Amino acid sequence: MNFLFELKEGLIISLKAIRANKGRSVLTTLGIIIGVASVVLMSTAIKGIDQSFQEGVASLGSDNLYIDKWEWFNNDVKWWEMRNRKNLTMEDFEKFKELAKLPIAISPSSGSNRTIKFGERSVQYINISGTDHNYINTTNLTFNEGRFFTELESNSGRAVAVIGSEIEKKLFPHGGAIRQSIKIGGIKFKVVGVLEEQGSFIMGNWNPDNLVYIPISNIFKYFGSRHWRTVTINVRAPNSLMVEAVKEEATGIMRRVRGLKYDEKNNFAINQQQGAFDLYNEQVGVIQIAGFLITGLALFVGAIGIMNIMFVSVKERTKEIGIRKAIGAKKRTILGQFISEAAIICLIGGLIGLGVAIIGSMIIAQFDFPVTVDADAVILAVTISLITGVLSGFAPAYTASKLDPVDALRYE
Amino acid sequence: MKVIEIIKIALSSLRVNKLRSSLTILGIIVGIFSIISISTIITMLQTSIEEGVSALGKNTFQLQKWPSVQTGTAEERALIRNRRNMTIEEYYKLRDKLEGEAKQVGGEFWQFGRRVKFGNKETNPNVNLCGCTPEAFPNNNWFVDEGREFTERESKSGARYIILGRDVSKNLFVNIDPIGQEIKIDGRKFTVIGLLENQGDFFGQSQNNFAVIPIKTFKSYYGDRHRSINITVQAYERDSYQDLIEVTEGYFRTIRKVSPSKPNDFEIRSNENTLNIINEMTAGVRIGAFVIAGIALLAAGVGIMNIMLVSVTERTREIGIRKAIGAKRKNVLVQFLTEAVTLSLFGGMIGIVLGVLVGNIAGSFLNATAVLPIDWILIGVSMCVFIGVLFGTYPAYKAANLDPIEALRYE
Repeated sequence: MNFLFELKEGLIISLKAIRANKGRSVLTTLGIIIGVASVVLMSTAIKGIDQSFQEGVASLGSDNLYIDKWEWFNNDVKWWEMRNRKNLTMEDFEKFKELAKLPIAISPSSGSNRTIKFGERSVQYINISGTDHNYINTTNLTFNEGRFFTELESNSGRAVAVIGSEIEKKLFPHGGAIRQSIKIGGIKFKVVGVLEEQGSFIMGNWNPDNLVYIPISNIFKYFGSRHWRTVTINVRAPNSLMVEAVKEEATGIMRRVRGLKYDEKNNFAINQQQGAFDLYNEQVGVIQIAGFLITGLALFVGAIGIMNIMFVSVKERTKEIGIRKAIGAKKRTILGQFISEAAIICLIGGLIGLGVAIIGSMIIAQFDFPVTVDADAVILAVTISLITGVLSGFAPAYTASKLDPVDALRYE
Repeated sequence: MKVIEIIKIALSSLRVNKLRSSLTILGIIVGIFSIISISTIITMLQTSIEEGVSALGKNTFQLQKWPSVQTGTAEERALIRNRRNMTIEEYYKLRDKLEGEAKQVGGEFWQFGRRVKFGNKETNPNVNLCGCTPEAFPNNNWFVDEGREFTERESKSGARYIILGRDVSKNLFVNIDPIGQEIKIDGRKFTVIGLLENQGDFFGQSQNNFAVIPIKTFKSYYGDRHRSINITVQAYERDSYQDLIEVTEGYFRTIRKVSPSKPNDFEIRSNENTLNIINEMTAGVRIGAFVIAGIALLAAGVGIMNIMLVSVTERTREIGIRKAIGAKRKNVLVQFLTEAVTLSLFGGMIGIVLGVLVGNIAGSFLNATAVLPIDWILIGVSMCVFIGVLFGTYPAYKAANLDPIEALRYE
């Protein structure tokens, strides 16, 4: 007997055995369905959140550095030390821009939190980001309509604004935002651009869909004096390999700009975009791993169920095994037969579980939660169910294969 | 048939198939384990939060401008932001009105992030400074264990006395008795007259990094124009506590001239409503975790049902014989149900023990207080019984309905 024939024979016998005990097979499969469905659903949810976060951060620029008074992502410097640092000013920015050679784009930004109104409609607590025309080059933002403000508009401090997609939806449900006058904190601004949806709810206030950009001089003019405001300098490196070099250069220039002596500590922070990912992985990652483990337990329980039923099945079919062995079946034939029985049950359960997960994700997607079951999920479902089947089927199959034909035949 | 006898039969038949029973039990263990471990961790976190937040004294509540947890829509938040500050005059008016009704009424101002200096030593600029009336001490559960509190007279006269929290005195004084020493805050001198006892910590963060000065002194140094006073009120006893909250609310509305149609323009914080807020906030997490963990239990239940069905099939003859010699349907039903419940209850017990253990270990990494979640243990036990009954009923029903003649003939 060659291997393929054995396999075919084994599969046929398994299918027959599964069909012979319909109720039992259905229940065993149900255990696997529950397990696979919850694991797949959890993994797609995790992936959805990750993806939306990454896209959101990426839309604000890749390979970026943010020079700021505050450390954003690490706690090495005590907050009271950072509090006592001098604010970064527009002069600092101008000097930095003059001296920096490596970055492909540099822009200042300074924000305020305001209410935006258009006619009767209004949205509150919106981050208004003041910046210059170069800002768009430090990001990967894309436009739905219109454009970013020009050098002329930025330098002369025109009252123009670029709004995020979420804000457009709320203020202009029927579209047509371009060239309309909106009121930001009571001051009129003309909308010149609407951003495309970048979609990252997990970024909260920093979600670019919920931001408004205006020329930075307007921030100083209308929303608070430049004396107590600190400016963030957005710096974009040409590529990811250059990030460290740009950071080195920026540190040197900033120390010069801020007039630091050789023995003084930096009184500014250079925040790397990578920090956002690290922080996210640290905080959300733990929750994700925990969620995955817990749903994994459900699958584990399903696997135990299969193993249990396979043991029963081996016991019930002791005589059959004895006969097959007596007429020449080898150990591995019996082993293969029972493992394939377990694997088939798992595979069927896995596929149905996948179907349940797809329906489940459609329901969850109704609540604006980014889940999509994709090819990876299919592979995941098939793989884990096959592995579960083989692992949980192995012990009973091994027991069966080791049965002594003489004893087995005598078994009542 | 006696209960004990039924359980004995169940146990002996479970013992016949040791491997099968232990695998089934393992499923239940895992299911219950996941629920109990998660709820233990959540309970631990919650207990730690509660201990940290509910720092108010016995039968005490607090009036303040800001809610302790900001929730609600942007409009609601804007309303809160636009509230008028609570003033020291309002405090005195309320104290006069509550004379005789409340045990004591305290007022306190806070200034955060100060640096305290002694000689050439200084703390980090993260010490919180409180200016308060003497009543604030018992109302906040602050007890002086060395030295003394300041008196009503000292409080009113603006004496330059200070009482230090544990961390502040530890950082400044080594081998020196702090009492009677002179320290400096923002360039002003204060004499240490007392040390507060340990206030515990909150997720590993000490609650002792503060210092207290008389309210008059505070007012003259830091001003009271741009800050809001917190008022703590203590009831005489538990019974009058709820009434006192209502009475105080009414008085304070009058003092603040809040028109009857308007909501309060201040918050009432009591240990109870803090707990409620925490419960509300964690409810979503708890439900989510519960559902996810419940899935494993569901799978385990299906496993029980499956194995019970096998067991019924295998023991068809036994059932036939029992019925033939006079066992009623009810007896057979109870027998198999008991078997299912015993299985799940046994697994549940082990799952609970493991869950509490692992949950406590995991929670201790988050610096949370260890707990024994009695309520969840009870819920776990009843869930086991429920699972056993739910998934044992069909097999037991099937067994009970077997025709004795057919069953006896079964090969």
